[in-house]
Amino acid sequence: MEDKILISVKNLTFTYQGMDTPAIKDVSMDIQEGKCVLLCGKSGCGKTTMTRVMNGLVPAFFKGELSGECRVCGLECGSATVEDLVPVVGSVFQNPKTQYFNTNTTAELAFPCENMGIAPHEIADRVKACAKKYGLEGLLDRSIFRLSGGEKQKIAFGAATMLLPRLLVLDEPTSNLDAGAVAALHDMIVEMKGEGMTIVLAEHRLAWALDFVDEYYFFKDGQVKEHYSAEQFMALSDEELACKGLRAARLETYRRTLEEKVCGKAVAESRLGGVDAGERAVERRNSVQNTELRLCDVTIGYNKKTPVYTVRDMCFRGGEIVGIMGHNGVGKSTLIRTMTGLIKPLSGDILRNGKKQRAKDMKKRSFLVMQDVNYQLFGDSVRDEIMLDTQDKEVCEQVLEALGLMPYADRHPMSLSGVQKQRTAIASAMVSPKELIVMDEPTSGLDRYHMEQVGEFIQELKRRGKLVVVITHDEELAAGWCDRIYRLG
Amino acid sequence: MKEKTNSNKLTVPELISIGVFTALYFVLVTIATFASAALLPGFSNVLLPAIAALISGCVYMLMVAKVPHFGGITVMGTVMGLFLFVSGHFAVSLIIGIVCSVGADFIGKLGGYKNKKGIFASYIVFSFGLTGPVLPLWLMKDAYIASLQAKGKDAAYIDGVFSHINSTTLIVCIAATLVCAIVGGLFGQKMMKKHFEKAGII
Amino acid sequence: MAGERSRNNILRLDPRCKLFMLLVGNLLLFFHVNLETEVVLMLCFWVPFMLSAKWKTAVKFAVTYLALLAADIWLVPAAKGVVLSFVSLLAVGIRMMFPCIVTGAYAFSTTSVSEFVCALRKMRVPEAVVIPCMVVIRFFPTVREDYRQIKNSMELRGIGGTAFDAVCHPMRRLEYVVIPLLMNSNNVAQDLSVAALTKGLGMEEGHTSMTQIRMRAADYIYMAVCAAPLCAYIAM
Repeated sequence: MEDKILISVKNLTFTYQGMDTPAIKDVSMDIQEGKCVLLCGKSGCGKTTMTRVMNGLVPAFFKGELSGECRVCGLECGSATVEDLVPVVGSVFQNPKTQYFNTNTTAELAFPCENMGIAPHEIADRVKACAKKYGLEGLLDRSIFRLSGGEKQKIAFGAATMLLPRLLVLDEPTSNLDAGAVAALHDMIVEMKGEGMTIVLAEHRLAWALDFVDEYYFFKDGQVKEHYSAEQFMALSDEELACKGLRAARLETYRRTLEEKVCGKAVAESRLGGVDAGERAVERRNSVQNTELRLCDVTIGYNKKTPVYTVRDMCFRGGEIVGIMGHNGVGKSTLIRTMTGLIKPLSGDILRNGKKQRAKDMKKRSFLVMQDVNYQLFGDSVRDEIMLDTQDKEVCEQVLEALGLMPYADRHPMSLSGVQKQRTAIASAMVSPKELIVMDEPTSGLDRYHMEQVGEFIQELKRRGKLVVVITHDEELAAGWCDRIYRLG
Repeated sequence: MKEKTNSNKLTVPELISIGVFTALYFVLVTIATFASAALLPGFSNVLLPAIAALISGCVYMLMVAKVPHFGGITVMGTVMGLFLFVSGHFAVSLIIGIVCSVGADFIGKLGGYKNKKGIFASYIVFSFGLTGPVLPLWLMKDAYIASLQAKGKDAAYIDGVFSHINSTTLIVCIAATLVCAIVGGLFGQKMMKKHFEKAGII
Repeated sequence: MAGERSRNNILRLDPRCKLFMLLVGNLLLFFHVNLETEVVLMLCFWVPFMLSAKWKTAVKFAVTYLALLAADIWLVPAAKGVVLSFVSLLAVGIRMMFPCIVTGAYAFSTTSVSEFVCALRKMRVPEAVVIPCMVVIRFFPTVREDYRQIKNSMELRGIGGTAFDAVCHPMRRLEYVVIPLLMNSNNVAQDLSVAALTKGLGMEEGHTSMTQIRMRAADYIYMAVCAAPLCAYIAM
């Protein structure tokens, strides 16, 4: 059993329907049973496609042209249906909100077994056993809608193991989660590996997975460029990883920088690093540069009986990037809604340059770049979309150019990739006259390259004198780009 | 997947799409119910089919574009009727819903679910599937008359009260639904072209 | 429909029994039964509701029903003038719908999704209807959340979020709300399909249910209890 090969891929090439270039090209790999393998690389490098081949979604659901060979647990991909693979492959996907089919947690765990026609009492036993093994007892028989993202993802992991699969395919399962939730998933995976399951993990974030991964495959443009053993990969320096566009493997230095930036301990004048000439030019145009927004004893929440959180003192200034961190469920989104005037604070004052603001005033002054930008795109072309926030055609053209959106200016925003959609929303924020720009988790699910690009964009917002507030659990982004950080909870 | 061998059967992804769009449709119908009640209080759901037809065009058009097989529209109408029934609407709603959606499905099939005019016509037929919830108005009238007669009110008085619920109401209801379905269907097709075709989604 | 399985049920009826009650409620609407039959049947519908975890809702229904009944007895004979006759008409009309509303609310609020799905399968409803039904229930809360997000972003960008805009440019507002909703629904449909396929929903046959439902003696008895007053009325 020691050396049994569970997945064998030979010269595999796949092109999605309607695409010119193949998503994966001439990929070969052998994965032994019981090992944990990590697929890494930039967005669009082919790692997600590789996971889809393994669970049969390619080519059954995602149509296209497949050539080469791929055998998973003795089943030939392409001729085996998704249904054939169901009993041997468990899958977990990226978005916690859209991968459960039932409204009740227990029903969701039972769901795969029900579809396989397992006897009811046996299903009940398995649900109990699974909950016990992975510590899900507290989550049983609850409405999934009321769970946090991390808890939803734990249920997804549990459901994926209900049929006792030999292979577990994980497609960026942590990209929407905070550090605590990621740690919980880490423990679940270690447990599963201990049971002898083979695990294939496609991930951007590396640091959390280093201690259980045995092999690494680095993808670039659809091809496997490098294959590392755990020792070889650990020997790579952060610079080498950065060159490949990979996220940091070690977060210690970032965490140290973070601690220094956390308010209270913060150096008094972290405010304006150095104002160069370009910034000054912008400064003259933007009087908001000197704006100060302060939250004094603001209690946030939806009703007085159950306040979510009280902010003692929080201060934001023009031309500054302030990060807000805190684990899922601490009240970050409620804080955003309060700051942007979507809900009224239960008590306390929001002051702008010392003057009390009503919720209505804040609504007029703030712009929100949502985590899911799909909710904020209304136009039928990128240009049209940006023109919703400004009357000035010239300004619009400038920002299109500055953010590299010119080639897409006439395309429908919904035909763009996630990153490009987000960039469209940032462009709207740039041209709008609003002074407070709030970004909600702008880098979840992004590789290093795109994360750094987002960093540059918020830097640009800062240069334009906006008050930039970034809600994030991305330690790399916060350490690298925020001037000050508030930690909630 | 199985659809290669059996092209008539709806696949699981198609059924899921139908479910998602039916949920949206149900929400729009609920909004139409409230709007109808707010615009004409006391006339129960007279304007419900019309308002629903006005606002649901996009949902219907996208659903048909996503599931261009026989059965899609029927399932949508049936599930809709089932939910109306279970949430306490008049049982006849379910039957009318099924009949109209099967009719709409046949019209769509004639044009192979591609012909714009065919889909448009099928939307109009589909819109009448919501006339079920209006019917209790007439039953209600009977109940009230019975109630008044039992309490000894005279016939002239009763006629006076009901001068406004008669066949005119029915004609108004049908005409409004027709006009609104035309406007809603055109709007839906315009939106398909403006957004979904441009974005490459359909 | 209850996402969390309701506890504290004293009397738990089979979903099929609840559907039967709904049907009786509908027939009641059709047959214009006399007051006595109606009250007896309403009591039949109300008792299991009271014995379920949702008894608070049942109490509210009872109070409303009694108020409507009182209106029928005292207000209708006194009805003179437009306003009063209009109110009495409403009272009679709503009360007439009450059997349907109460049985519907009872069925809806006391049945878990798993029970509902299991009942549909046992009644041999085709999978082509069962799967969309599951999705509809699953998707409702998402629609609400999506709408909230879209409305927020409209408000913040000052496009058509106000009541003024809704009245002046209704179609534009409809476009701004419905298009993102549809775009997002389309994405969710894809994600749900992927999740469902890898969990074996596409299996041709032999689906089982962990939740078991069974028609017990209590269910048959209760169905008889509900049918009896109606049959008696029709026979007379």
